[in-house]
This record gives sequence, C-alpha cells and structure tokens, in this order.
Amino acid sequence: MDFQLSDEQKDVQRAAREFAQGEFDPDLALELDQSGKPPESLWKKAAQLGFIGIHYPEEFGGQGMGLFESVLTIEAFCSADSGIGSALSMVDIGAEVILKFGSKDQKERFVIPLAKGAKRMSIAFAESEDGQDLSSLSTVSERRGNEYFLCGEKRFVLNATLADWFVTLCKEPKEGWITLIVERDREGINIHPIEKMGLRMIPFGDLDFREVRVDIENRIGNGGEGMAHVHHCHQVMGLRSAAQALGTAQGAFDRAMGHAKQRIQFGKKLSQFQAIRHKLADMAVDIEVARWLTYKSATEYDQGKMDSKFLSITQLEAGRTLVRVVDEALQIFGGYGYIAEQAIEHYFRDAWAIRVELGTEEEEKDAIAKIMFGPDSIKK
Amino acid sequence: MFYELNDEQNSFRKKVREIYEREVSPLVEEYERKETFPVQLFRILGAEHLLCLRCPKEYGGPGLDKVSECIAVEELNRICVGIGAGIMVQGGLATDPILHFGSEELKKKYLSPAVRGEKIGAFALTEPDAGSDASGIRTTALKQGKGYRLNGLKTFITNGTICDFVTVAAYTDPARRGTGINLFVVERDDPGFSVIKKLRKLGNHSSDTAELAFDDCYVPKERMLGEEEGGGLGQLEETLKSGRLTYGARSTGVGQAAFEAILSYAKKTRRQGQPLSKSQAIRFILAEMAMSIEAMRYMTYRGAWLFDQGLASMKDASIVKLFCSESVQSIVQKTMTIQKNSGLRMDNPVQRFLCDGRLSKIPEGTSEIQHLVIAAGLGL
Ligand SMILES: Cc1cc2nc3c(=O)[nH]c(=O)nc-3n(C[C@H](O)[C@H](O)[C@H](O)COP(=O)(O)OP(=O)(O)OC[C@H]3O[C@@H](n4cnc5c(N)ncnc54)[C@H](O)[C@@H]3O)c2cc1C
Repeated sequence: MDFQLSDEQKDVQRAAREFAQGEFDPDLALELDQSGKPPESLWKKAAQLGFIGIHYPEEFGGQGMGLFESVLTIEAFCSADSGIGSALSMVDIGAEVILKFGSKDQKERFVIPLAKGAKRMSIAFAESEDGQDLSSLSTVSERRGNEYFLCGEKRFVLNATLADWFVTLCKEPKEGWITLIVERDREGINIHPIEKMGLRMIPFGDLDFREVRVDIENRIGNGGEGMAHVHHCHQVMGLRSAAQALGTAQGAFDRAMGHAKQRIQFGKKLSQFQAIRHKLADMAVDIEVARWLTYKSATEYDQGKMDSKFLSITQLEAGRTLVRVVDEALQIFGGYGYIAEQAIEHYFRDAWAIRVELGTEEEEKDAIAKIMFGPDSIKK
Repeated sequence: MFYELNDEQNSFRKKVREIYEREVSPLVEEYERKETFPVQLFRILGAEHLLCLRCPKEYGGPGLDKVSECIAVEELNRICVGIGAGIMVQGGLATDPILHFGSEELKKKYLSPAVRGEKIGAFALTEPDAGSDASGIRTTALKQGKGYRLNGLKTFITNGTICDFVTVAAYTDPARRGTGINLFVVERDDPGFSVIKKLRKLGNHSSDTAELAFDDCYVPKERMLGEEEGGGLGQLEETLKSGRLTYGARSTGVGQAAFEAILSYAKKTRRQGQPLSKSQAIRFILAEMAMSIEAMRYMTYRGAWLFDQGLASMKDASIVKLFCSESVQSIVQKTMTIQKNSGLRMDNPVQRFLCDGRLSKIPEGTSEIQHLVIAAGLGL
C-alpha cells in the first residue's frame, strides 16, 4: 500500500491548483453564479491546458492519464471555486460511455472535440427528477432503416442548454435498451430550462423529444446494452461527484480557516476560541476521511477493479462530509456567511446541489446492504 | 404547569393561520423572487391587530402575552421566514426597548404608528467588526448641545432600507467598554442617516437587510432611551430574552413547513416500486422529524410561558433558541435530500426552507454564543 501521490500526480495537482487559483477570479465567480452563465473562457483555457479529458487516451485528445488524475483536477478546481470548478468538471458527462462502449469512429467524432474544448456533452437518462427506477422509463426510439426516431421526455438534464450532444437512454422495441448520441440542434427537441438553488453556472433543463431523428451511427455499442452504459456512467459520475464534494469541502474549509485567523471578536481571533478550533479540527478529520475514500475508489477504478460497495461508501461519506463541512464553515463566518457576495454563501448552495448529485443516503445504504447481504436477501 | 395550549390559544392559532394564509401566502413567491419586503403588509397586518403583539393596549397594541406571540410567529414562519423577519423586528428589537425604557412621549410617537403598521421599525446593533461581541461596537453618540451626534456603520440590519425609524446602539462614553452604550431612536429623515446598500442573502429573500451609516447624525436628547448615559446593553436583556424565545417559534414554524412538505411528498412519490412512505428508512426519518417538532414546540411554549410568569432566565431563553435552531437543521436538510433534484428547483419551497432555516443559528446570538450563555447560567 502506498499512500503517496507519484511525481507525475503531484505535477498534475500543482498545475490544476495553479490554474484554478490563478484564474478563478472571485468577482467573475460571483457574476457567473448570479447570471447563471457558464465559465466560457475558462473552459476553453482548461481544455487548452489539457485538463478536460485528462483521463482520455492520447489518441482521442486526452493526456492518457487515469480517473485518479481527473479526480485530483476536480478537487483542485472545486476548492478554488465550487461553482466554476463544478462547471468545468461537468462539460463532458457521458464521454465515459463512448470511451468504454463506443466505436473508434465515435471516439474520433465526439471525444476528441470534447477534449479540445470545442464541444460539450451531457446525459439524458432519467425521466423523473426524484429517482424513479430507470427500468420504468418510457422514452422510445423506433428504428426505421438507418435511423432512429426518438420520442420521450427527460428530466433535470445537466447542461441542457449548453451541451452539443446528449447520450440518451431509450428503448427500441426490437433492440431493447440502447443509448444514442443525440445532437442538441436536431429538429423535435424542446428544452425547458430549470432555475435551481445551486451550481447555477450549470444550466439544467427538461428535454422533450418529438420524433427526433438519430442516425444509426450515433448508437453507442450494441442493442440491449443501454443499462450497462448507464451503470458505467453513474459509477464514473459518482466518483467525480465525490471529488467535487471533496474539493468543495476543502474550499469551504480553507475559507473558514482564513476567516478564523483574521476575524477578531472579544479581543481575540476566532482561531483562539477552543470551540472554533475544534470545529476546524472536526472538519479536517471529515475531509481526510472523504479524501482517502475518494482516492482509493479512483485508484481501484483505474486498476479495473472497481468495488461498487466501496464506491457507495465513498459517495455516502463524501456527501456527509460536504454538508457538515460547508455548514460549519458558514457558521464560522457568522452573519457574513449568510450574505451573498461573500466568500462562502455560494458554497452552501453549490454544496447542496452536489449533495443531491451524490444520491440519497438511503439509496447508498440500500446499495451497500444489498452487496453485504446478497442481491435477493431482502425477499427471503 | 404548562402542558397544552388552551381553547382560547388554539382558536387564536386558527385565526392567525387564516389571516396569514389569506394575506401573506399569496405574496410569498413574488417577493421572495424580487428579494424585497412587501411593505404593504405592515398596514394590512396592523389592521388585523397582528403587529407588535405584546404592545399594551394603552399604546394601541393588542396587549397579548408571549405565548400568543409565539403562536403567531410560528404560524407566520410556517408560511414565510423572510416576511416573518421583518414583522418580528417590528414587534421585537425595534420597539421593545422603547416600550421598556422610552419616555411616554417616545412611546406615543413610535409605538402607536408601529402597531398600526404606519411606521416601520429597525434595530441596529451589529457592525462590520462587532457581532457576537456587542461591546466591541464603534459607533459613537457624543454629546453636543441638547442632543447627541452619531457616527458609525451598522450592518446586517433587518428592515434597513424600508424603516421609518431605527433603534440604534452607540457609545456615549467610549471609554467605558460595554457599559457606556445607549440606545437612540433615529428617524429615516434625520440628516446624516443613510442606507449604504441593501445586502443579498442565502435565504430570507423577502426580508430586507442593509448596511446603514450614521454620519454626524444629530439626535435630540429626548430620543435617547432612558435618562442617564450608559447601560444601553443592559436595556436589551429583556428584549434579547424575548427574541431568543421568538427564534424558537421561528424555527418551529419553518420546521413544520418542511415537515408538511416532505410528509405529502413521501405519500405521493413512488420509488423502487413502492410509495416512499413505505420505506422503513423514510418512516424513521419522518418519525424523528415529528418528534423534533413536538420537542421544539414544547420547549418554545414552555419558555414563553415562563417568560409570561416573569420566571424565564436568559439561560432558559438560550436553551430554547439553541435547541430549536439546531433541531430544525436536520429537518430542513433531510427534506431537501429526500426530494433529490426536485428539491433544488427554485419553484419548490423546499430549497427555501433549507436556506431560511439555516439562518436560525446566526442572529440574536449564534449557536456558539448560546452555549456560552447557558454555561454561564450554570454558574461556570
Ligand atoms: C439575516 C440577518 C439579519 C440580521 N438582522 C440584524 C438586525 O436587524 N440588527 C442587528 O443589529 N443585527 C442583525 N444581524 C446580525 C447578527 O446578530 C450577527 O450576525 C450575529 O450576532 C453574529 O455576529 P457576526 O456576524 O459578527 O459573527 P461573529 O461574531 O464574527 O462570529 C463568527 C463566528 O465566531 C463565533 N464566535 C464568536 N465569538 C465566539 C466566542 N467567544 N467563542 C466561540 N465562538 C465565537 C460565532 O459563533 C460565529 O460562529 C443579522 C444577521 C443576519 C445574518
């Protein structure tokens, strides 16, 4: 067991921190958060510097590194700013599915432009915003010759108004579950933006598909594989969300440390009060736990031995840590914590949006228990 | 012993709920969105005798007790915490010190119009560098001729941009740290008084919060509360005690709102093939929420009853505030996580309950300060 980052990983971490701390301007973050706009120029820069798709193979525009390095990047980005960091880590959602199941041609057509920062991708799986079973989905695509005709409604789609492509889950009567890469500007797609409390730089929306034509060449993998695609994508997203949670908690912690060292009440710095010192100590403990869980999960993923139970444990704990740490950070800021345009307020809102991405505690516990007791154990 | 509200109190609850649902509910979405206080409400609630509930009849008030006030506060905060904030200040911090320490003339001049909603009050103690440590304020009120000249900055002031008068704490004798403070009533049109800026916040969007400046603002001696210089912070004791109990009712109100929301959500939402309300985990959570709300309500009303008997100590009030403002956090947080993505939508009040409920741990003594007050009350 080796708990050290390699020299190469340290370089990645350093570069990501330098970029984020140097370029994620707090005023810009505030402005983008309030106007609900994406960090356009930072996205281009991040791509130029090779941060987007850092884990893609080199032949498809990436740096040929692992998801671990992607996790390090996301962590550094979100600790510099939860909003910008999250927005930059979510420009290529769904690429995983193409990387694992797609053809060489699809990787060239779709993955390379993502890495270049020319295009963005998202996923359209869920049809309800509150966690309905994926198996009860009703989006259908009918194959007629070399085309699919897609009908259905997808809910709470990330980057709905920004993504150029949506990896869309649907059912074809003969082929079964499939995923299709759907271009946003296709005829028959209607997008209804959603206003939400956090992660406002990432526009969410509902998508309606009405007889949307999709070329057969945009089908990923084979018929019947759709659910496997979704499962794979959720695993990678779970890990990346854990990294977002970790970075956001770290960022809130850093800000609270800074405030505690500088704010004076009762003639003392907050950092001299035992209650505040212990809060920060607790927060440090939580963050370390979440960090090592996340790193271990990412390492296992890169080694090709992803353990679902461990990933659920990671997600559960990352979510708890995120909420606890950000909440306490806000508390350490006192009234200033509650005021917008201050260092921490948007961390609170973003944290809750990330928290939701990670899934509910109940779902994670169900998943963990199911693995511990066996898949059919509850019915016995 | 106080165990249950009596018939009269229950019918008062029913009456205020009807009035708030009729007059306040329709305003909530619009004013939360606009981030302004619906000032017309002052006159409407004044006409319903629902402002400054404890103000005696001789000054035009309803002359109710603390228990009744808590009932009204709970009901109003069940509908909207932000609007509840402006109304709370009117009947609490802005006018209470005038009632207790003001001259007959001041009482007539400010209380009667406040009760009718013709004048809006604010209370200004907090400064950029002095929050928890009230004796650290820097605003001065130095004697000049027949009055005092106020100089200083106040921040986070509720009703700040909409107030007609503000009860301000300032040092008449800066050499006497903590004791050399007095309270003054400053009017909106007094030369030297200005609103620097309105502050945007995490929650409580419909409440008005501002930074105020006093720049050589002259106030005649008659508008000082009390005859003598000094002792102003002491004059706030009863008001703060009462305010901390009010925070118990505020937290209970928003907790109740969240609870009602999640209860109906759990009944109507299906997950994994069954109504959410059939999940044992969710049933446990809802049971715990019900338990917390019961406990919060009893704590609050017992504290209010003690207050009405003249028996409540500051420790009692702090216990109520700390218990309720901490208990409500897990209620609003769980309500959010259970609803997943849909909880994030700005058109779902669940995100509002979370951000509004979060405030409780900060004003009128942060949770940490409540711990210190309780510990001091233990003779430590
Ligand atoms: C929405 C809103 C409305 C408000 N309305 C009003 C109003 O109308 N009028 C008004 O005068 N004020 C108002 N306030 C101000 C409020 O009362 C203060 O924010 C509060 O008293 C805390 O002060 P602070 O913000 O300066 O935090 P600080 O005092 O700087 O506290 C920062 C952190 O340090 C902790 N801390 C401080 N001292 C100690 C200690 N000795 N030991 C351990 N921990 C400590 C605190 O608990 C907190 O966690 C309002 C605030 C908000 C957010």
